[in-house]
Amino acid sequence: MGWLSDPLIRAWAWLIGLSAASTVLAAAVSAGWLAGTGVTIGGAAILTLAWAKAGVILSRYLGLAAAPFWHRGFSIVLALYAILLLALYLIG
Amino acid sequence: MSDTRTPDEPLHPLEQLPGDLMMWVLIISELLVFGAGLAAFLGVRITDPAGFAEAQDALHRTGAGINTLVLVTSGFFAALAVRMAEHGRRMATRAWLAAASALGVVFLVIKGLEFLDKARHGIGPDTHAFYTFYYLLTGFHAAHVVAGIVILGLVGIHCKPRTVEVGAAFWHMVDLVWVLLFPVIYLLR
Repeated sequence: MGWLSDPLIRAWAWLIGLSAASTVLAAAVSAGWLAGTGVTIGGAAILTLAWAKAGVILSRYLGLAAAPFWHRGFSIVLALYAILLLALYLIG
Repeated sequence: MSDTRTPDEPLHPLEQLPGDLMMWVLIISELLVFGAGLAAFLGVRITDPAGFAEAQDALHRTGAGINTLVLVTSGFFAALAVRMAEHGRRMATRAWLAAASALGVVFLVIKGLEFLDKARHGIGPDTHAFYTFYYLLTGFHAAHVVAGIVILGLVGIHCKPRTVEVGAAFWHMVDLVWVLLFPVIYLLR
């Protein structure tokens, strides 16, 4: 498993895993396995996974992990934006 | 002019920024446009959540899910191209850029089939507010994928570390937009 020590491969593996988790959650909602509050929690989890994926792309693919000042700034703005989307989703 | 900074002195924030400053200005501008579009989508959804859920059921979640895997893998290939360029390996750089572009084409084919299927079922931008946003946001994103493929081709021709890094940054921006767009449009109920 030495290849997992490569940050790029790790980032890609995380993105694949997070994307798969989103799709499984969405399938569970569509199949009716989640109902009522479960659907809302599922939606919030899907948005949280999207936020995590965006964070991985920013830090590893776009290389902001090597630029702490910008990484912090982008992370704060991304978190605020994710909260906005979550609020709009929960209102709907 | 000589650099008077000591080795221990941290870099100025502008010097920390990977790639080209103008590319970051473009990336932030694009993220603001797509970000506003997605927020507007969820805002309008508040007025008709049942209608949006019904319209969403006609989408191909599997195809869009596959496209997510295709695009994040393509981004991985572009990042490998940057690494190869930094090591001065031009042929490997071009090979990874070509692989990233090829997956971009796969993404467009799947997206094109999806649009074709909607057209066959008479679903257009005027069918429902959901589809207005769907066509606008995914269509605009697909146009960026086309632009990204052209850019990756151009930086492959002028294969220098700096240009490859800038081209790959644009591609990652396209990737980043999709990982936000996909769950909001296709998955949220």
